[in-house]
Amino acid sequence: MALFIVRRLLQAIVVLLLVTMITFALLRAIPGNVAAAVMGPNVYRDPAAIKLFDQTYGFDKPWYSQYLLWLGHIAQGNLGYSWNLNQSVSSLLGQRIPKDLVLVGFAIILAVLIAVPIGMLQAVRRNKAVDHFFNGFSTVFYAMPSFLLGLLLILVFAIKFPVFPAEAPQGETLGVIFSNFNAMILPIATLTLITVALFSRYMRSSVLDNLTEDYVRTAKAKGASERRILFRHVLRNSLIPIATLLGLSLPGVFSGALITESVFNYPGMGLLFFQQAQKQDYPTLLGVVIVVALATVVGSLLADIAYAVLDPRVRYTS
Amino acid sequence: MRFRPKAVGGLAIAAASITALAACGGTSSSSPAAAGTPVSGGTATFAELPNTPPNYIFPFTSSAYISVSNSDLFQYLMYRPLYWFGTGSQPTLNTSLSLANYPTFSNGGKTVTITLKHYMWSDGQPVTAQNVMFWLNMEQAVGDVDYGAFTGFPNAEVASMKVASPTTLVLTMTKAYNPTWVVYNDLSQITPMPEAWDRTASGPSHCSTTVSDCAAVYKYLDAQSRNLSGYVSSPLWSVVDGPWKLAAFNADGHVTMVPNPSYSGPVKPRLAKFEELPFTSDAAEYDVLRAPSSSSKIDVGYIPTEDLPAKPAGAAVGANPLSGYTLAPWYSWGISYSTMNLQSTIGDHGAIFRQLYFRQAFQYLMNQQAIIQGPLKGYASPTVGPVASYPVTQWLSPQLKAGDQFPYDPAKARSLLASHGWKVVPGGTTTCANPSLCGPGISKGSALSFTFNYANGQAWIQAEMTQLQSNAAALGIRLNLKPEPFNTVVAGYSGNCVVAKIPCNWDMADWGLGWSFYPDVSPTGETLFKCGAIANSSGYCSAADDAMINQTLTSGNLSYMYTWENYLATQVPLIWQPNAPYQVTEVVDNLKGVLPQEPTLNITPENWYYVK
Repeated sequence: MALFIVRRLLQAIVVLLLVTMITFALLRAIPGNVAAAVMGPNVYRDPAAIKLFDQTYGFDKPWYSQYLLWLGHIAQGNLGYSWNLNQSVSSLLGQRIPKDLVLVGFAIILAVLIAVPIGMLQAVRRNKAVDHFFNGFSTVFYAMPSFLLGLLLILVFAIKFPVFPAEAPQGETLGVIFSNFNAMILPIATLTLITVALFSRYMRSSVLDNLTEDYVRTAKAKGASERRILFRHVLRNSLIPIATLLGLSLPGVFSGALITESVFNYPGMGLLFFQQAQKQDYPTLLGVVIVVALATVVGSLLADIAYAVLDPRVRYTS
Repeated sequence: MRFRPKAVGGLAIAAASITALAACGGTSSSSPAAAGTPVSGGTATFAELPNTPPNYIFPFTSSAYISVSNSDLFQYLMYRPLYWFGTGSQPTLNTSLSLANYPTFSNGGKTVTITLKHYMWSDGQPVTAQNVMFWLNMEQAVGDVDYGAFTGFPNAEVASMKVASPTTLVLTMTKAYNPTWVVYNDLSQITPMPEAWDRTASGPSHCSTTVSDCAAVYKYLDAQSRNLSGYVSSPLWSVVDGPWKLAAFNADGHVTMVPNPSYSGPVKPRLAKFEELPFTSDAAEYDVLRAPSSSSKIDVGYIPTEDLPAKPAGAAVGANPLSGYTLAPWYSWGISYSTMNLQSTIGDHGAIFRQLYFRQAFQYLMNQQAIIQGPLKGYASPTVGPVASYPVTQWLSPQLKAGDQFPYDPAKARSLLASHGWKVVPGGTTTCANPSLCGPGISKGSALSFTFNYANGQAWIQAEMTQLQSNAAALGIRLNLKPEPFNTVVAGYSGNCVVAKIPCNWDMADWGLGWSFYPDVSPTGETLFKCGAIANSSGYCSAADDAMINQTLTSGNLSYMYTWENYLATQVPLIWQPNAPYQVTEVVDNLKGVLPQEPTLNITPENWYYVK
């Protein structure tokens, strides 16, 4: 297992390099003068200003030289500067990532806590009323766009019946967010409901598969109660796809939830990337890409490790 | 001069006729305005447009950061410009809020004497002529590269500058200019800077007396401006002469200001606090407007385009969907247009665009009234020429006050094309049948087929483009619409491509927002329409136009202004399009003093007060 993890980490480095290289090249291929995009057409008044900008940010070099230069800065912990937002990329990420950790992280944890029992209940009560009810529930919320759900929640619980604020807590620090946590209910609920719809379907399917396995029949034959069979045997095996989903959700925690952030006035990583992409703010875009790529490889690795823990038959050997 | 900031939020829809707009009071309240008793104190909250947080505090702002959110809505509350423009709903000089008296002109108009009033910085120092010189010296040293609204002043127009006394500055111009133009377009740029800022990292410097020191001082102050977390505690930025000082600042856009007790101006703030609130989207802002809570409320916000009530004919606004608020469109002093590249290198497109009849024919296809009444829901004014049609000012000629010189008329457009040698094929592609009539550089068989790049993200622009494409197609003019991000459009097509040495291989472009006449307030055409001007995106060049513009710069006689704008309006150097408001504002009824809103987009929260 240890060797497996080391090998995967080494692979992760290669993946990160490839992802950043491709992203870098694609960004540099976007037409238009970046200096003018940042400084406006007045910059054309003095070619020296464009030259200075290009020299400062390396746009006067071939793209691969720029990439190596950027890699060198990354190695020194310098993610660059957002000329558009007038802040360092690291400070921007430092402001936004914790907010998405709270929003998306809470939503995923809640979704798992809700979806797992629902999925099990549906499987055990297959084709009964409760199964149909939750099938309908998951169909509705799985199909519903997040912006629609968010706006509906605001309409009902903030405008029609003012139970919660219409926007998420405002502030840069987690302290502000947690001191006004009731304002996080609606945005978290938006993400949670959609995620529950997805996770519960996987869980139902997985439990159903496991209920037909031989070991369940054997356990029944040995006189184990249904409760024991479900929670001591079936649950663990049924969590394998959920573990995979959780691992694949990790990038989402760091890439944010663009629509939910926009609807609830909660600027996170999703909005950061979207808004700065429109302004050719390459340093910020690359910073976000690094973080999300890293989260993706780590998430994938964690999913594989969880898989091995949950299923002793899986062994990662050299 | 400023390319209009991307005001995504309340950019409303619909236009109205100039007459209707000029006649109407411009507000609507869903409930009778509370008369009430004025009270002191309270915290007024002001909603920023989406994704426009202030992020640059130094009021010598480069192109990268010059914007309404940084200048009008942030810097000017703390650091007063020398001259304040915005008197009620007019973009005129407001002498009561200015730091100096109206200058005197002598020596045949070549000598300009500026006398400062008695204002104090918050560090106890008076605002002096040397502080003005500080700005002027910096402008001389680095303005062409590092000042976003650089027009050439003072380098191009001022022969010498002298501090005659602590409160008197004397400028000797290279020639006698139109005094109004000098005040409105040159002196309007100046924001005096305190001696406390005249320093570099190693200590005090002398930019206020020595131009050669200014580059280093600028570099230092610019670097300090990049430390957003240090704005409040900075000993530099805490030296203010405006009515407000910074109490809290977050990089995400939350700004809190409190009254500056040292403010010397005529109106002291009555509010205890003024807060600016950032929003991620129009919808998020509108939700808070509709559902205020103990943790979030908006006193001065805006209503998104899609939620605007349609404006009945003859009314200033429609029925306000929000109770307890007053609806008031906030028009900015500027014009709106799209660009036809007369220097296009694609085939003979440039030659086609250089034909006056073609530009006029195309203008006849721009149905401004339909766009105003349709996607803009009545909240806009037609652009009739190089001078804004709303608010109506002294600069608008009687001819252009009458309205759009090219109201939608496809028959006239067709007639212009046909009479100039084009074989008009409705629904197909119109081609040149008689080159001698089509014009020089246009060959037989040339097709009227062009690419139109426009900024995405604004529904009314999308609707306008679609309409224009349809109108043009009816005359066989094929428009290939190409939506692109705003920054891409501005970067690629807003500058004079030949002068700026950028690719000229484009036909038409629209970034959706046009031009704002601020801080150069007088709408003379030297920045946008003179031959070789960097912002002359179409590349229009006419010796006659240049000569007329020069007359407006040297004479205050409005007849020259009227002659020029009447001429240029019919020359159609740009495709005039509806001018939508900056936003349609919602003001809570118990907050007074907010209206009317200044078309220079300045705000004066020191005038605001609650009533009960």
